[in-house]
Amino acid sequence: MEPPIVYYPRSEYIETDTGNKVSRKSVICGSQNIILGGKTIIQTDCVIRGDLRRTGGGHAVVVAIGRYCLLARGSIIRPPYKTYKGIFSYYPMKIGDHVTIGEGSIVEAATIGSFVHIGKNCVIGRFAIIKDCCRIEDNTVIPPNTVVPSFSIYEGSPGVFVDELPECVQDLYESRTKDYYAKFQPKD
Amino acid sequence: MSSSSQTEIRHIRPYVHYQCSCPDVNKSSVSLELEKEESFNVNSPRIQFSTFSISKLYFCNDCHQIRCPRCVQEEIVSYYCPNCLFEVPTASVKSERNRCARNCFQCPICQNTLSVLPSSEPQPPPSPISPTTVPAPTVSATGAPYYLSCGVCRWDSQEIGMTFEKATGLALQLQRTEDERPDVKEFDHLKDHFEKHMRLNTPSTALPSSLLSIPGMSSFSSRYGGMVSNNQQKSDDIVPYDAVAKVEIESGLVDDLVQLKDVNQITTVTQRINQLSDQPYKVERLQPQRIHLRTKRVKRCRSCRHILIKPEQKAQSTKFKIKLVALNNIPKITIASLPKLILNQRTQIVLKFSNPLDEEISVDLTLQDEINECGKVNILAPRFNITPYDGLWEYEEQDLVASKSRTASNSIGIYERRGDSTSIIVEITPLAEVEEFKFPLLVTYTSKNNENDGATTEEKTNETSSSKATSGDSVADESTRTLSFWTVLGLGPVIKTPSGITGTMVTGPRSEPSGSKGPTSRGSSSGNSNRK
Repeated sequence: MEPPIVYYPRSEYIETDTGNKVSRKSVICGSQNIILGGKTIIQTDCVIRGDLRRTGGGHAVVVAIGRYCLLARGSIIRPPYKTYKGIFSYYPMKIGDHVTIGEGSIVEAATIGSFVHIGKNCVIGRFAIIKDCCRIEDNTVIPPNTVVPSFSIYEGSPGVFVDELPECVQDLYESRTKDYYAKFQPKD
Repeated sequence: MSSSSQTEIRHIRPYVHYQCSCPDVNKSSVSLELEKEESFNVNSPRIQFSTFSISKLYFCNDCHQIRCPRCVQEEIVSYYCPNCLFEVPTASVKSERNRCARNCFQCPICQNTLSVLPSSEPQPPPSPISPTTVPAPTVSATGAPYYLSCGVCRWDSQEIGMTFEKATGLALQLQRTEDERPDVKEFDHLKDHFEKHMRLNTPSTALPSSLLSIPGMSSFSSRYGGMVSNNQQKSDDIVPYDAVAKVEIESGLVDDLVQLKDVNQITTVTQRINQLSDQPYKVERLQPQRIHLRTKRVKRCRSCRHILIKPEQKAQSTKFKIKLVALNNIPKITIASLPKLILNQRTQIVLKFSNPLDEEISVDLTLQDEINECGKVNILAPRFNITPYDGLWEYEEQDLVASKSRTASNSIGIYERRGDSTSIIVEITPLAEVEEFKFPLLVTYTSKNNENDGATTEEKTNETSSSKATSGDSVADESTRTLSFWTVLGLGPVIKTPSGITGTMVTGPRSEPSGSKGPTSRGSSSGNSNRK
């Protein structure tokens, strides 16, 4: 089934030079610490906490998001934190290219690879590592410190491996995210 | 588990599934094959196992055939731990019992990954978090003993009195206790006992060569084959076996189970089968298990043994040295527009065919019956061409909306031609109120082959096509290739009455072909007018 064209009110979104589309109704904290790779869509009511950065001075990238990513409505990106040697600190998060994060999902992962699909209402625990080419089904809870290896489908609470993804998943997700971006069109 | 979820999805969403005729799997049952040639029954229970979405299929270039997961052969390339992603050498896989021999453990209660924690590091007691995954070297002097902790169910290995002096090589520390277990001892003893006997017998490979590709199978075959062939003469030579270990039966277990009041006192089936060696009933006897290894596999065509999928050996790599998937070789069909299906109302749906090849293909569509038990299907353009795939088309996506009306073709039944895809109109008239309107469609495509490798130009047409199939048209000369395959299209449920929502969909008598058909075209045209 081919996805329909999604229209958004032109006034709601800011389009950057590199083609990122960021909703004015989203909450972007500490934007100087956030990198968007280009052609990434951040929809209404998303929250990205770029202000939660490592203790200690200096400029640091907190959230790095690649190209052709989609943060669907109400998703929350929050860098992971832990107390290490008695010092509480936040740690940076990296998200690869062609990553879709479903509606209402909360992500506190350390790393998310490229070509990853995260469903709706998921919770990705602190310091989880999701490798390239993965699929997290809707309503899945990935516990903290979990490693999701490539080509796996995780499902359930706590999320467990349920199936393998086919080999062509990279092409599939790439064309899907590009298609979504192309069909995410303004309307006055 | 996976298959059940897959079938569920099949019923929820509209789909296009491709049939793989599985020539090798079906080879033995010739009668079934004949039966299938007669008609392609979409309601047959076998359809679940012979149709797949295009992403799951492979394409063998040598046979020029679609290959499904059932008709490929797998060989293991490498083993790796899914948690630490460490690649395990094949030689040590067996001795490590197919599990990670480093620091990766599974929670015995909830089967999640455990983390190693130092017990003496000051922790904020109220916070329910695991502060560190890997303890720092500085703490290790004071951090001992270490224990395993589950981040999900809060189980920790101190509950069963399991602690470690060092934070590294935990599996090795556990292995010793593992080797002490009576069942492990017994098995080793049993193996030693029979190995003596096996060595005496001359190995004769009784297994088919296709199975020999599985690692360890050759040794199994030599043993097993030896056993079978020499059973009569040599069986007397086996020394009677004496068990070394005595596994005591828990005498009070039955009584305990009878008097059980709280179900949480005994283990669940999942917990038990995760600890196969003793399958304890008592929760206290559950032990953390080392994590099972995963594999990377080569996939071969069963007929010609050519490699279809060859992953890179490195555990972290997602690249493939060889990747022959159907997605890059056969036309991809997507349902581009699908209004709600209403009983006895003619509805137009749009099917988009994309060409992944770098040469032009012509597509022929054939229906099995114009009318099936779901309703009437009418293809307005059963024959059309698709221009070759060109990477440059991707850059034209920008004017996606604007170009829509412009590219609409004026030939009947063609909804739109764009880049490497052609969209066609199919008219559907549901005649029965079914949960899922589905119909079979035979797709035949011919491509001009530039390479002209002179080899057999396959004509699979005769194999699956019904009498109506236009197999006669697809005469393949040396420079063309023809392939035909069945697809099943599922279009979701048929509603009985429009219930006042007819205004939102285009039904009824057919308007001009390039007119507004679905929500997409209406949206785009209005978008255009707004812009002007």
